[in-house]
Order: sequence, then structure tokens, then C-alpha cells
Amino acid sequence: MKLLLVEDNERVTRFVTKGLHEAGHAVDHADNGRDGLFLAASEPYDVIIMDRMLPGQIDGLGIIEALRHSGNRTPILILSALSDVDERIRGLRAGGDDYLTKPFAFGELLARLDALNRRGPNGGDKNERVLEVDNLRVDVLSRKVQRGSRAIVLQPREFKLLEYLMRHADQVVTRTMLLENVWEYHFDPQTNVIDVHVSKLRQKIDVAPDRPLLRTVRNAGYMITAAQS
Amino acid sequence: MTRLLRSSATTLAIGYVSFGIVALVLFAVPLWYAWQNTVQEGRAEILRADAQRLTEVFNRTGPNGLKAFVDERVGLQIAGERILLVTDSQFHPIAGNLPAWPRGVPPTSGTYTVPITLDGRSTRAVLVHATLGEGYNLLVGRDTARYAPVETDFWYGLAGAVAVLAIVGVLGGVLIRRALLMRIQGIQATVSAIMQGHLNHRLETGQRGDELDTLSHTINGMLEQIEQLINGVRNVSNSIAHDLRTPLAELRSRLEELALTRPPPGETFAEIDAALADVDRVIAIFNALLRLAQIDAGMRRSGFVSLDAGKIAADAVEFYLPAAELKGVTLQFRDHGPAPVSADPVLLAQAVSNLIDNALKYVPPGGTVTVEAPHDPNEPVQIVVCDNGPGVPDSEKPKVIERFYRGDASRGTPGAGLGLSVVDAVARLHGGTLELTDNHPGLRARLTVVAGAA
Repeated sequence: MKLLLVEDNERVTRFVTKGLHEAGHAVDHADNGRDGLFLAASEPYDVIIMDRMLPGQIDGLGIIEALRHSGNRTPILILSALSDVDERIRGLRAGGDDYLTKPFAFGELLARLDALNRRGPNGGDKNERVLEVDNLRVDVLSRKVQRGSRAIVLQPREFKLLEYLMRHADQVVTRTMLLENVWEYHFDPQTNVIDVHVSKLRQKIDVAPDRPLLRTVRNAGYMITAAQS
Repeated sequence: MTRLLRSSATTLAIGYVSFGIVALVLFAVPLWYAWQNTVQEGRAEILRADAQRLTEVFNRTGPNGLKAFVDERVGLQIAGERILLVTDSQFHPIAGNLPAWPRGVPPTSGTYTVPITLDGRSTRAVLVHATLGEGYNLLVGRDTARYAPVETDFWYGLAGAVAVLAIVGVLGGVLIRRALLMRIQGIQATVSAIMQGHLNHRLETGQRGDELDTLSHTINGMLEQIEQLINGVRNVSNSIAHDLRTPLAELRSRLEELALTRPPPGETFAEIDAALADVDRVIAIFNALLRLAQIDAGMRRSGFVSLDAGKIAADAVEFYLPAAELKGVTLQFRDHGPAPVSADPVLLAQAVSNLIDNALKYVPPGGTVTVEAPHDPNEPVQIVVCDNGPGVPDSEKPKVIERFYRGDASRGTPGAGLGLSVVDAVARLHGGTLELTDNHPGLRARLTVVAGAA
């Protein structure tokens, strides 16, 4: 991925760019609003990471509004210390695609960037009718799930969970992402409820002799992949 | 003096007095005209009656008889009391106390008010002109100046009334102002004390139930709320100091030990992971506190929408169901149909989740947790979470809602002790309450949401 990081804090910048480089991504960086807007408007990026409070005349939300106004649809992840639910709504309303509050775990950032990149500038492949990983097949319209020739019966929420994981196949999906997108809960339930849901789903789809597809990624989240581990 | 003038009571008194005077004058002017007309008509009537009598004298005794009669009357009466004049057909005076026929009185009979000269001074007179037989003329009249004292008395009376009104008004104004000032000064003293930090002071409220009492009651309610908020903030800072310091201290010693001993890489990385877990715990507590402060500040009202509390409860049950199964606890939702209410969906979901989470934490395997949103049109919308676990002793019930309070039973279970405080804060934001009662056995938590509290 080619990424733009607009962030004025040096330590956060070093931490994020180093991590992204290690994950194999190219990162441009601007430490003020003016340069950030200039780069974002003139270079093609896969995803832009935008801090909200920036020096240089224009703040993060201002840049996003300016970009959206000029027809730039590059996915933008807002990175902010403003954690309010209302602030989050303001950020998304301004044209941001996702909102991550500081402090954050790097794994969370990376997973969300992957998800945004997959979605692409046009809202992604939401219209895909059939999702497939290895011999696991999910029909989104008829809501049928099959592993090879075996039909799998899922509860509605289990289906939603599987659908989300399948749409982000080969990507790490964090617990918070699942919480926000599958249950639409914007708070931390403190207990390992998500893990229990995932393991229930795993019991239904990963049955021997089929090889396991739903993996737990340590310190990050979950991933559905056909790749050999 | 300027202070007195600026007082609202003084302004009010001045206003009332001015208003009273204007009303008095408006009342007196038509009265004056009516009185004037009646009295003048009455006087003219007397004069006409007099003229009638003199005409009869003339008819009975002829010009000489009338002359003698008039001369006698003029001789008897006090000067100026009555104007009398008898003239011949050429208007030459024959008898009476007027030296000549006054100009301005026409030759026909009638009642006239004309300027005349009487005893060398100009005045106005009401004159009745009666034509007698043989061209003789009779004038009977009266000097209007003789009525002046009565008019003056009328105006004096009016002025007196105005003066009395003004004095009573000003006096009343001053008294009302004194009474008002005394009560307002009481309010002011209390408010000043509060401004200096004595937050427990309250305004005096009497039994009168008047506007000031109502105002005092309202202000007291406001002070109550402010005191509660400030105590909340104080509690939060105390709690932050206490509960964040512990994990921070652990984190610090962990890192310091790492820096001092420089253990082999394997051990170092394990310690770093542990340190990260410490940081995450601090962040979780911090987020919960922020959320709590935000709810308490009432800032989230903007998020109120129409929703179904039953659906929110059902979703939360569904969310926790696998975790409950894993623990061997029966978690069930009793459906009572939709419970529509205006509320914040995020916060309400969090509150219900916290209640379920809490119940699951304490109910032993084999226990039951029941969630329902009974809908009674006469009661506020409510979500009830019941369990048959160990429950909470009555003495601890108020305390478990307090921030960071953790009952004896909770030692060894994860959590920051903020769960029920958040539920309580959410309930208060929605104009409702969180009630904890006994479920015989177990705990029954009832969260009410006032419909339309937005």
C-alpha cells in the first residue's frame, strides 16, 4: 500500500512509519495541515492516515472536507485523541471512513488500514454475491453457508460475523472492528465475549477433516485465510 | 440615592403612583365638566325664577311698582350679590345696580354669559334677559367670579388627592422595597457564601409559596445538582488518583526493574508484554472514567433518538449468550413486545451490557440470568436484569453504584468497579434511575428510562 500519514507528533510518527515499513508499505509523511493537504491532493494514495489537531492553518477535518469537496475519494482513517462518540460522528460526517482513538495498538491501526484499502475509494465490493475462501462458500443473498458439500446452519448474528470475516479474508480483523461492525457497539465490553462468539463460529465451520480457516492472530485479532500456516 | 432609584421596587412604586395620578386626572376631568354643566344650569334656573318673579311684580304693579321693588332689593342686598337692571324700551336704566345696559346682551329674551364692568372691574356675568310689557326690559344676573372659590376648592381637593396618592404610593414603594430587599439580601448572602465554596448552603424557603419561594426552591434544586456534580468530579479525581496510581506504579516498577537488571531477551519480551497489558488496563479505566464524566456532564443528549428498549435488551442478551453458555449460566430474554422510548442507543446498550456482564460475573454455574423490558403504559420504560446469584447485602446496595467500589464477592474477578456507576449515570442522563433490589435470592437491577426525557 502507498500511505500518507499526516501527524504532528514525532514519536507517534516514528512508531507508525516504522511499523508500516516493516509491514511492507510505503509511507509519506506531513507534519502540518498545509503540507498534508498539498500531498493528499497531489499524490495518489491507497489510504490516508489523518490526525485531527494539526498546526498549519488547517486541521484534519478541514483537510478531509477540502479533499471530499474536490472529489477525492481516497479512504481516510482519522487518528485522534478526541474519543467522544460525538467527535467520532463528526469525523465520519466530515468524510472520514474510519476513526481510531489514541492511544492505539499498532495491530489495530494496521488491520483497519487493510480493511480500508480493501474497500477502495468507491466503497468496495459490497455487492459481491458469493464469498469464497478455500471450500467455504457464503451466499450473501440466500444466506446459505457451505463447507465443501456440508451445509452449515448459522444464527443471524453468526452469519453477519462470518460475512464480515469473509469480506476481509486474508486480513487481520480486530475485536474492536468486529464489535463495531457486527454488533454496532461502540464501547468496550471488558470481557472476552467476542472470543466466545468467534470460537462458536469456528466450531461450526472448521470441522475435521476440513482444514481450519479461521485463525486467531496473537495480540491482534482474527483472520480467515486459505493460506497454509 | 442612585441605588434607591435603580431598585426595581422603587421603579415599580414610581410607576404605580404615576399611573394612579394619571387615572385620577382622567377620572376628574369628565367629572369636572359634568359638575360645571349641572351647576351652571342650576344657577341659570335660579336666575330665571328670579326674573319670573320680577316679571309678575311688573305685571301686577306696572313700571313704577317694579322700580320701587328693585330699588328696595338693591338697597337691601350686599353689593354684587345679584345684578338687577330695569330699562325702558330704549335700554336706558330706570332702576337697578348696573350703570348701563351691558353691550353683548342682545335685545331678545334669553340667558347669556357676557363680559361686563362691575364696580370698576372687568368680570363675566350670567345674565337672564326678560322683555317686559310696553318695551321695558329686565336683566337679572350674577357675577361668575363669586363662584370661583368653589372651583378652587375642587382643584384643591384634586391636588390633595394626588398628594395623598403620591405619599401613600412612595411610602408603600419604600416598604415593599424594604421587604423585597430583605429577602433578596438573604438570597444574596447565601449565594455569596456558595460562591466562596460553602456548597452545602441553601436558600431559605418559607411556607408562603409565593414567587420568591418558588424561585428559591428552583435555585435550591439547581444548587443540589451542582453540588452533586462537583462531588462527582471530586470523587472521580480521588478515584483516578487511587485507581490509576496502582497500575501505573506496577508498570513503573516493572519497567524500572527491566532497565536495572537487563534480563535475557526472552524474559525481557515477556515483561514488555506484561507492561503493555498494564498500559491497556490504565487506558480502559481512563476511557471508562471519561465516558462517565461525559455522561454526567449531560453532553450526550444530542445522541437521543426514538428506539425500542426491548430490542436493545434482546440484542445485548444475544451478544452475551455464548459467554453465558460457556460458563454454564442460563441467560434468557423475556419478550414483552416493543418498548418505544427516546434514548441514546450507544449508552443504553452499554448500560444493559454492563448489567448483564455484572450478573454473569457473579452468578455461579447452573444459575439463571433473566432480562426483560416489561412495558406498562403507566410506568416509565424499564429494563430489568435479574439473577439468582449471591446478591448484594442491603447495606452494600448504595455503595456498589459508587465509583470503583468493589464488593467483597468481587475480589479476584476482573473489572475496574465502574460498571454500575456507568449504568447509574446513563439512567440519570435519561431522567430515570437504577434500582437494586433483592430477587430472593439474587439481585434484581431495574433501569428506568423516562419516555421523552430528551
